[in-house]
Amino acid sequence: MIRRVLIANRGEIARRVIRTCRAMGIATVAVYSDADAAAPHVREADAAEAIGPALASESYLNIAKVIDAARRANADAVHPGYGFLSENADFADACERAGLVFIGPPGKVIRHMGSKTGARALMAGAGVPVVPGETPTAQDVSAIGAAVRAIGLPVVIKAAAGGGGKGMRIVRDAAAIDDAVRAARSEAERAFGNGTLYVERLIDRARHIEVQIIGDTHGQIVHVFERDCTLQRRHQKVIEEAPAPRLTPAVRARLTQAAIAAGRAAGYVNAGTVEFLLEGEGDDARFYFLEMNTRLQVEHPITEAITGFDLVRAQILVASGEPLPFTQADVHASGHAIECRIYAEDSRRLLPQAGRLLRYVEPTGDGIRVDSGVAPGQVITVHYDPLLAKLIAHGRTRDEALARMAAALESYEILGLRHNVGFLRRLLARPEVRDVRAHTRFIEGCLDELSAPPAPEIVQAAAAMAAFAASREAEPVAAIDGEASGVDPWDQIGPVDW
Amino acid sequence: MPKHVQLSSVLGDWSADIAGAQVSLTPTGVANVTADGDRLVADDGARSLSGAAAVAGDIVWVTIAGDVFAFTVTHGAHRARETRDHDAFMPPMSATVVRIAAKVGDRVQAGDVLIALEAMKMELPIKSPRDGVVRAINCREGELVQPDQILIELE
Repeated sequence: MIRRVLIANRGEIARRVIRTCRAMGIATVAVYSDADAAAPHVREADAAEAIGPALASESYLNIAKVIDAARRANADAVHPGYGFLSENADFADACERAGLVFIGPPGKVIRHMGSKTGARALMAGAGVPVVPGETPTAQDVSAIGAAVRAIGLPVVIKAAAGGGGKGMRIVRDAAAIDDAVRAARSEAERAFGNGTLYVERLIDRARHIEVQIIGDTHGQIVHVFERDCTLQRRHQKVIEEAPAPRLTPAVRARLTQAAIAAGRAAGYVNAGTVEFLLEGEGDDARFYFLEMNTRLQVEHPITEAITGFDLVRAQILVASGEPLPFTQADVHASGHAIECRIYAEDSRRLLPQAGRLLRYVEPTGDGIRVDSGVAPGQVITVHYDPLLAKLIAHGRTRDEALARMAAALESYEILGLRHNVGFLRRLLARPEVRDVRAHTRFIEGCLDELSAPPAPEIVQAAAAMAAFAASREAEPVAAIDGEASGVDPWDQIGPVDW
Repeated sequence: MPKHVQLSSVLGDWSADIAGAQVSLTPTGVANVTADGDRLVADDGARSLSGAAAVAGDIVWVTIAGDVFAFTVTHGAHRARETRDHDAFMPPMSATVVRIAAKVGDRVQAGDVLIALEAMKMELPIKSPRDGVVRAINCREGELVQPDQILIELE
């Protein structure tokens, strides 16, 4: 029985876990770096432990400090959230050694799935389709080149220890093989300390479809349907939906069964996600295992929206040794859900942004859920992921969910830094997205249009509002200052070019 | 009291006279801005748009239908325009210098990456806006630099 959970994370996911713990009568302990002392997740938890400076490697990524905080706070379990230590097998093992329940899969499963080539071999053995490819035993440039020719161009050269697009090169032309191998190798060595490479056929114009699974310690593994995460940029998802649109019942059945087979092969316990690439149309669509994420996924709320389950609650029950609170027969999907990731970023230049939230008003309405990690007045720093919040819209149909999302994005008020709300609104309005014709590199192809300035009359109206707000702000100051010194307050504001 | 406000942003420059809620923007005419609770409504006679604004020092943030705009309130001549290089050599945000790829006296070309910064797990290149010779480097590898800091100067 879990009584007190330490949440080894920050931001929206820490608050998300606190919410379910509270509903289950479980006490919560937040951890925080110096940069997060005043963050919402720290205020909301029952207790909070400082774990070091802003630098993640000295706080949120430091296993010893997190375990130490759990001991100090008398926690009996740890929820890792996503990112940070959530897929670190050593952390899961360290929790176990310290007598803490790790709310996630066993360390050895995390370790096995963390090796791309290991996971690939395991899945192929279990009959789960994998992208045609090979890992050459000899790793020199000519051996990799031979593998490329055997598979046939175009290919992707990937790092065995990889992730996040690092150590990855697409090769379309035989002349580019040598350079691509060298570049991928040096990037892999720098990022992962392991330069082992493997080669896969390039699945071009594919959709990214993933299946949520959850298993318990009593041998039950169920799927909780799939999500479509095709809309990405720089290998980072921006919009996800569930269920995947335009997926035929036959393909959905094959896909979810493949995910369960993958989970069984891995000896999976707790919540996890099996990612696939999907190519082709209708019942002929083919899918290939991509990787397994051994943690709760950022986009889990859309699965919760269509099934009515609380996945964090299921995670905690399973970690306590209880059987899953539902069987496969209980899993039904109702309606359609879409999630938009709200990032602090300059969408035109794809740069993360920092600043103070001068005004922050979340949208409300039927079927709208906002999981946010921020509050008005908060300073968004450069230290962590620029995700401000996740906006989720659920409707009876995909059209209704899209309409609710569009209205929610229009009424979202975030002032004080640049963000991607306008970009998301334009992306969702694209006919390719409406008609489900987008592939994983769709955004790259229309980035300029999606981040183009709004129509001139909108810009004019914004300028008029800015002038009005600036003059209104200055009014009281002008009265006092004008009498005392006869100086126009505008004189004291230096020119700053944006 | 009527106010004259100059605004600039990446989307252009405006000069506005405000008398009451009437904002006349040059050169395109007049919009009537009214406050509706803590929201603003701009009406130019043809259409009415709702938004919100927040002022922080000399920057005014405005949002309309999810799009966000940042305007800088300026006064008099645009002095900063004379030093266009400086824009290119200021970090877009607080960031850590991970690599300095040039040294004083180096001849550089437009587009050369001179400094690599890192912030929020991303690498941000600082590129030369023109051909020139490096006159000064005002940062060190590993240093945390701020958006108002000019990292490098060209002759």
